[in-house]
Amino acid sequence: MRAPYSLAAAIALAALFALPGSASAEPGTGAPAPVFSGVDALGNSHSLADYSGKTVILEWTNHECPYVQKHYEAENMQRLQTRAGESDAVWLTVISSAPGKQGYLTPEEAVRKTDERGASPSAVLLDPMGEIGQLYAARTTPHMFVIDGAGALVYQGAIDSIRSTKIEDIADATNYVDAALDAVEAGTSVAVAETAPYGCSIKY
Amino acid sequence: MPRAFIALLAGIWLALAGGGPAGAQEAPVQVQAAKALVPAGPVATPNVVGELVSAVDALPAAGGTVTLALRQNINPGWHTYWRNPGDSGEPTRLFWRLPEGFSAGPLQWAPPSRLPFGPLVNFGFEGEVLLLAEIAVPPGLAPGEPVRIEARADWLVCEEICIPESVELALVLPVRAEPAPHPRWAEPIARARAQLPQNAPFPAGYALEAQDGLRLWLEAPALVPAIQEGGLLSAAFFPYEDGFLVNAEPQSLSYGPGGLLLDLKAGYRVRGGKPGPERLEGVLVLKERLEDGPAMRAFRLAAPQATVPAGVADHAFAPRSQGNALGAGLALLFAFLGGIVLNLMPCVFPVLALKVLGVAKSGEAGPARRRHGLLYAGGVVLSFAGIGAALLALRAAGAEIGWGFQLQEPLFVTALAFLLFAVGLNLAGLFEIGGGLQGAGQSLAARPGDWGAFFTGVLAVVVAAPCTAPFMAPALGFALTQSSGLALLIFVALGLGLAAPYLLFTFVPGAAAMLPKPGPWMARLKEFLAFPMFATAAWLLWVLSQQAGPAGFGAALAGFVLIGFGVWLARAGSGAAADGRALRGAAAVAVFLALALPVLAPPGPGAARIAAEEAGQGEETADAMAGEGLAYEPYSEARLAAAQSEGRPVFVNFTAAWCISCIVNEQVTLRQDAVVDAFAARGVLALKGDWTNRDPEITRALKRHGRSGVPLYVVYPGAGAENASPQVLPPVLTPALVLAALKAAGKGLTPIASMR
Repeated sequence: MRAPYSLAAAIALAALFALPGSASAEPGTGAPAPVFSGVDALGNSHSLADYSGKTVILEWTNHECPYVQKHYEAENMQRLQTRAGESDAVWLTVISSAPGKQGYLTPEEAVRKTDERGASPSAVLLDPMGEIGQLYAARTTPHMFVIDGAGALVYQGAIDSIRSTKIEDIADATNYVDAALDAVEAGTSVAVAETAPYGCSIKY
Repeated sequence: MPRAFIALLAGIWLALAGGGPAGAQEAPVQVQAAKALVPAGPVATPNVVGELVSAVDALPAAGGTVTLALRQNINPGWHTYWRNPGDSGEPTRLFWRLPEGFSAGPLQWAPPSRLPFGPLVNFGFEGEVLLLAEIAVPPGLAPGEPVRIEARADWLVCEEICIPESVELALVLPVRAEPAPHPRWAEPIARARAQLPQNAPFPAGYALEAQDGLRLWLEAPALVPAIQEGGLLSAAFFPYEDGFLVNAEPQSLSYGPGGLLLDLKAGYRVRGGKPGPERLEGVLVLKERLEDGPAMRAFRLAAPQATVPAGVADHAFAPRSQGNALGAGLALLFAFLGGIVLNLMPCVFPVLALKVLGVAKSGEAGPARRRHGLLYAGGVVLSFAGIGAALLALRAAGAEIGWGFQLQEPLFVTALAFLLFAVGLNLAGLFEIGGGLQGAGQSLAARPGDWGAFFTGVLAVVVAAPCTAPFMAPALGFALTQSSGLALLIFVALGLGLAAPYLLFTFVPGAAAMLPKPGPWMARLKEFLAFPMFATAAWLLWVLSQQAGPAGFGAALAGFVLIGFGVWLARAGSGAAADGRALRGAAAVAVFLALALPVLAPPGPGAARIAAEEAGQGEETADAMAGEGLAYEPYSEARLAAAQSEGRPVFVNFTAAWCISCIVNEQVTLRQDAVVDAFAARGVLALKGDWTNRDPEITRALKRHGRSGVPLYVVYPGAGAENASPQVLPPVLTPALVLAALKAAGKGLTPIASMR
């Protein structure tokens, strides 16, 4: 019977790719950002190489995580996405939750959820195997990365300076993504280039 | 709209009433009466029970400091976070709402654990944790009026998913002149305080290496014997801030005579050639194995960047496997399987094969064959049970034994090598056994008769001793950590496994008929099987060469020659000729010499080196005893009794080389000036009982105090004490504790004849 063999082979291959491996190398700030490639919720493929010359923002999300909900309910994340769109930057939302874990969405669900929460990323990359997440050593939702037009990673870490699930803290916090985008647009170097990300752990 | 307006008014009123300061101040300070807004006592969320608890049952009217704690009782599988939560999460936060004049110190974090989650690692707490805080109480509180202390605790509790929670807590305490320890929480809080990270008594530093390596070292030679003896279960470093380390990377520990070293991976704040922090700050948590179970010791480190000193990374640390990994049933199964596989090992297989062939050759009938099979199994099982009983007796006598211990004794290894050599010679046909008793031509392994069957079983076990089969080692290792009954059962299971193939063979009808017909090939096979025996003997000789050095090894080789010679002499003298007896006598002499030589051989350099090390360590310990710190005398019951009859208070420190807690207590607490001075001022005699070699007198003393292991600290009061019974101190000492105990033990009075 062919079926059991191919099934076994498929499982073995999947297991190979699903192996998260040991703690991956955290990309260095100032160094070229790791070149990822992935497929979005509409089936289009994206690679960092496609966007050379443009600022790219990566946002790891899990719609059920209270920290993500804080920023979406306060419209903070949507505001940043709109700003990115206006300055011709590319905003990629990444979902690295494994199938069956909190935050996992099928392509249709992802499209619907993006619409529901009024988000406007350039694309929502679906990363159920956690490859892009491991490539960037992404740990939390949200975890933000800003890459400049030359492909260098200029900011990685938290979205803002107050680690909490309380909406009222957003106004008091310094938004690191805003600061990074300001610096990139002005052509200056990002003052705070790395911070400890906060949020729920990514459900690899 | 009106409803919203009323709600707004109510909200404003509540905010003003709840948040306003206390009423007018006049001595004595009056605290506002309790508001029934927040119920006092534990508050339960779906996954955590939170509570404010106190170490004392009342606030001191004269003012002072009291220790309160935030207690979190967390559901199994869930956890809350440390001050640095690790890869994700949020630390617990406590916001006090204290009455006027009160102030709270910072939250004191218990030592965290590493909590892996997929490829990520968090730092936090599971089960029950107490986070302490010191509260300053102003003087002049009115006794009798209860005081309400409130706080809001925010935490993130996670399992697979995370839930942020916020609870309002309250604690109501009366005011008294002399507060007493809280009947329920004083002890847990004291235990929690003892576990708080202490300043490291050893120098520490870190060095950056190629490939983003970060090596954190601790110059702590005093800890190394404890690590070598298996006292350490794990070591982990938790930085206060994110970014210096890759949290999820496993931390491998090495050690050497100079101390220990943790190999870590540098995080994003250090990678890419950045200079490291001026000081790497965090907590080093050591988990150690004590007789009563694992215990944690934590040290605050502020490690500057400094080259790694010599001698801290000579050996990789591998924790001794915990014995409870195997369940009883699984261990029995493993033992049985191990016994079966043992049949295939080169030392056992020849015996088994020849037994089987012997049956074929003798053509025994069914019942006799089965009886012999059972007797063989009996011999095997009884021999293994005997070995098990011997090991258990040794364990009860306090020896630290494990399977394979027999191969650590050079004389035993030599004797076993001789035996295997002799059996090999027998198989090769150089001599026969039992010529006088049973008639010529009977080989050792093919002796017919009931005794022969039983004896072959015993022999199989004896020759199996140097061989270990897969499955055997974990089962036996587990057995030796268990109760005597279960341990014996495991040995019996091993025996049954070993006997099973042959037993099966004798019971299956027609099995013997399946064997090829006897013929000259049997003799050839018998001779061939001598070589696995010789190979095992050769391996034992190699083991011996490591243990006994050239002299012992040479003695064993000479013994082989003598045995061969003796065998030849015995054969030459086996006839009834006149000189036969003389030759047989000479053979006996040769064998005797063979056995005597290894005993007489001088010990090898290995042994000399070990002896020197032990002597060196002994000197070190003597130095440590005589140097700064307390001047100890060795413990003995006589010395204790003598001091007590003099009316002198005695402090007994029961310790062992492999006990990390003991070493830390000695280094951190018992060397402090205040403590040493108190000993001198009060005339307290310090006795040290070193239990490294399981001294029976010390074992008795431990048992008397209901303890099975070290550390144990006992203070025997002197003549001037109120309470005449000895006081047992907790296993983690603080100076305050020791000083209080010494105070209660009274002063040692100069003996006056009239006091007798």
